Amino acid sequence: MSGHRKVLSPMSTRYMGARIPRNEDPRLLQGRGLFVDDVRLPGMLHAALLRSPHAHARIRRIDVSRARAAPGVAAVYTHADLGPLGGPLPKLIPHPALVHHKTQYALAPDTVRYAGEPVAFVVAESRYAAEDVLDLITVDYDPLPVAATLEEATAAGAPLVHDDIGTNVAAHYTQRVGNVEQAFGAAPHRFRERLVIDRGASCPMETRGVVASWDPRTDRLEVWDSTQAPIPIRNGLAAMFGLLQQNVRVVAPDVGGGFGPKIMMFYPEEILVPLAAMRLGRPVKWIEDRRENFVATNQEREQIHDAEIAVDADGRILGVRTVFLYDAGAYIPYGLIVPIVAGTTLPGPYRIPHYHCEFAAVFTNKTTVSPYRGAGRPHGVFVMERLLDRVARELGLERTEVRRRNLIQPDEFPYDVGLVYQDNAPLRYDSGNYPACLDRALELIRYAEWPARQRAFRSQGRYLGLGVACYVEGTGIGPYEGCRITVEPSGKVCVATGVGTQGQGHMTSFAQIVADALGVTPRDVSVHTGDTGLFSWGTGTFASRAAVVAGNAVALAAQAVREKARVVAARLLEAPTAEIELSEGRVFVRGVPARSLSLGDVALAANPLRFAMPPEWDGPGLEAIRYFTPAQGTFSNGVHACVVEVDPDTGMLTVHQYLVVHDCGRVINPLILDGQIHGGVAQGLGGVFWEKLAYDAQAQPLSTTFMDYLVPTAAEVPSFEIEHVETPSPLNPLGVKGAGEAGVIPVAAAVAQAIEDALAPFGVRITEMPLSPNRLRQLLAEVRRTP
Amino acid sequence: MKLEGTNTLAAPVETVWKTINDPEALRRCTPGLKELKEVAPDTYEATLVIGVAAVKGSYTGKLAITDKRAPTHYIISLEGSGGPGFMKGQGSVDLEPQGEGTLLRWTGDIQIGGLIAGVGQRMLGGVGKMLIGQFFKCLEQTLGGGGQGPGGNR
Repeated sequence: MSGHRKVLSPMSTRYMGARIPRNEDPRLLQGRGLFVDDVRLPGMLHAALLRSPHAHARIRRIDVSRARAAPGVAAVYTHADLGPLGGPLPKLIPHPALVHHKTQYALAPDTVRYAGEPVAFVVAESRYAAEDVLDLITVDYDPLPVAATLEEATAAGAPLVHDDIGTNVAAHYTQRVGNVEQAFGAAPHRFRERLVIDRGASCPMETRGVVASWDPRTDRLEVWDSTQAPIPIRNGLAAMFGLLQQNVRVVAPDVGGGFGPKIMMFYPEEILVPLAAMRLGRPVKWIEDRRENFVATNQEREQIHDAEIAVDADGRILGVRTVFLYDAGAYIPYGLIVPIVAGTTLPGPYRIPHYHCEFAAVFTNKTTVSPYRGAGRPHGVFVMERLLDRVARELGLERTEVRRRNLIQPDEFPYDVGLVYQDNAPLRYDSGNYPACLDRALELIRYAEWPARQRAFRSQGRYLGLGVACYVEGTGIGPYEGCRITVEPSGKVCVATGVGTQGQGHMTSFAQIVADALGVTPRDVSVHTGDTGLFSWGTGTFASRAAVVAGNAVALAAQAVREKARVVAARLLEAPTAEIELSEGRVFVRGVPARSLSLGDVALAANPLRFAMPPEWDGPGLEAIRYFTPAQGTFSNGVHACVVEVDPDTGMLTVHQYLVVHDCGRVINPLILDGQIHGGVAQGLGGVFWEKLAYDAQAQPLSTTFMDYLVPTAAEVPSFEIEHVETPSPLNPLGVKGAGEAGVIPVAAAVAQAIEDALAPFGVRITEMPLSPNRLRQLLAEVRRTP
Repeated sequence: MKLEGTNTLAAPVETVWKTINDPEALRRCTPGLKELKEVAPDTYEATLVIGVAAVKGSYTGKLAITDKRAPTHYIISLEGSGGPGFMKGQGSVDLEPQGEGTLLRWTGDIQIGGLIAGVGQRMLGGVGKMLIGQFFKCLEQTLGGGGQGPGGNR
């Protein structure tokens, strides 16, 4: 509350930009949230899934007779029981280069392609009973050879994940700017690197979950789903089950973390649970357990880049080339979004006159890959920043100077990179001030003093290093989001939008936008998201787009409601519309505050019970629906800087300092923005040193518990320093840009540089992520062996 | 997961050979074995109850003896699946005379999948050695003698 008072004078209506506490927190902190597992309906049954223990196998026979006869069992389904729902699940995002758009099945028909793929679905009176019944199902598998790694899957004669297509390459795609061959041919310096990033999991606190309830009397299906995209799920369910969209309600209530993998459309369970509820006439619940989350929820991050940079003698970039392998896992429902984002994020804030980006999307016998916070951006930045570090080292240039020489300047916007972005629109940066962010970050980390500080540590036998990395983050892509705002007679304002919320603070930031327009406080504004019964149009929460796309729809609708309030009040107060103002929850004649009505009274008057309605009111109530449909994304940017320490004996990494200078245009709520960045950096640090999804040679997942998959805790994550530079976007009324992924993007790049800096006396080179104490010790041993 | 070891048994090669081909001895000495049904010569249907780390469960599958070169060598393979996943193993056994007794060399390669792989992988080495150790301990008790390697060391 102190922040509230500090920023706002009592008469102010400027909530945009204010560091105010979140509307949703009192409810969440008092345990009054409603997550899917909190939905308990009378007569509810519980589901469990039998999953393949093999990474690749033919199913010869499934015997469910004993399972069906077990006490407490309501249904046991295999693929044979799915009828028309037995086909491949929807193909999400097609692309001309995606020639083999393979998607999985709700239950595997004859082949399983990753360990964890669903084979049978059991519904019983309790989860205990359902889990026990899984043991009574006998599946006769014929194990097949496994393509466990990108190298194996692309080798000649590799086992085929999908034998009908004769290859493991789902897509091969190239984007080019200029003439790279020419640029490289004429370049005085060229440097090559092979850079590898391994798999990680998003680990939301709340795993996935679905509850479905069917009412045969009204033909209505209600589904609670821990998803980032309730409206597309509703649309898909209506199509699959032959129901009116109107009769299907999908609610994403409180969602305990999304991070990308919860926007899949469809996971098998999102079809199986509603199917069972409709067939059995009783509500059905399935909640993913943690081990399932490690095999059945999509993963990300595995890519191998062969990258090369050409520079002149001053370190100016002449050309960049990357040819990379992208691990799609066993299926590729989400298409080529991740590799396209990786290739288009790579150029970042730098001028690259000639660029060649080419990738193969490759099937392996592992869990399916779809975007996870960053969605290819960390890879692109890791490659670009590693190349620049190599240039600096080889040419004996100062590393930040190499970056500075190549930065796009503030007067060069809009800057056309020359590529096509993930939204199929040209990759055109709208605004930014890249040198200002770099300068500020170097100032905050006391870069000028670093050599002396580092020497002092080294003289004490301590190995500390500093890393600096720059990035540009594509955000706020279309196609659209919408919003309906209604002022109730109480004066409370209801906002309904189609984007779901998974912790981003929409209940507060959207309320701030509305509060400014309608002259109320954010606490008077009640924001409802993720319920298709309340707002029916929308695409979902992904790609750092909610504040930009939905936020501007909210702003447009709030403006429309404001205008309507002025028109209605003009008649009631007998004054010209132009003289009506809104403030402090009241509507009044400018300069005559005594001639006023409360906003609620205006709403009440706008909905008369009798008599003719003035034609200029254009219908009842203070209500408006508006959509925002940006033609392209808007581009945030930033610089991360960190100081780390490596113990060469134990290989342990300690992060001493981490700071972020960040520009996402106009800031709606710095408190929420800081939180977004904190979480992102923590996830980024996890992917640098702690979190690694390990698979054995047979593609058996080995890290399926938090004992093996280490998520960094408060003990590993330092406190952050964050500063915001505000370069408004010219592409939307609010001037905002997205920030959801900013925290995670350059962490690997910055820490890699810092580790190399720390271990400079040994000459260790970092070309892979994640690392671990063991791996760092290995790398140290290698350079010690080869003097 | 590859394992190997040697054991010394206080019985001549022929006696050891007979014992390690005797369904009754296999049934008695294989840890966790609940059922062993001979379905063809040297081929058995087996039910095992084994715990790896926190994952205890029942596996049904086949046990087969192949590549027999009496009285010194065979390959034993075991595959089973159940609620906790599957396990598949293959091992070789070689016998050679050592004084009055027999030196038994064995190798094994174990693969597991499903829940036991995710949760139990890091325990597998230890558990595998322990189970094989129990097997040979039992053989030693049957035949007399002592051993080296994981089996004999405990």
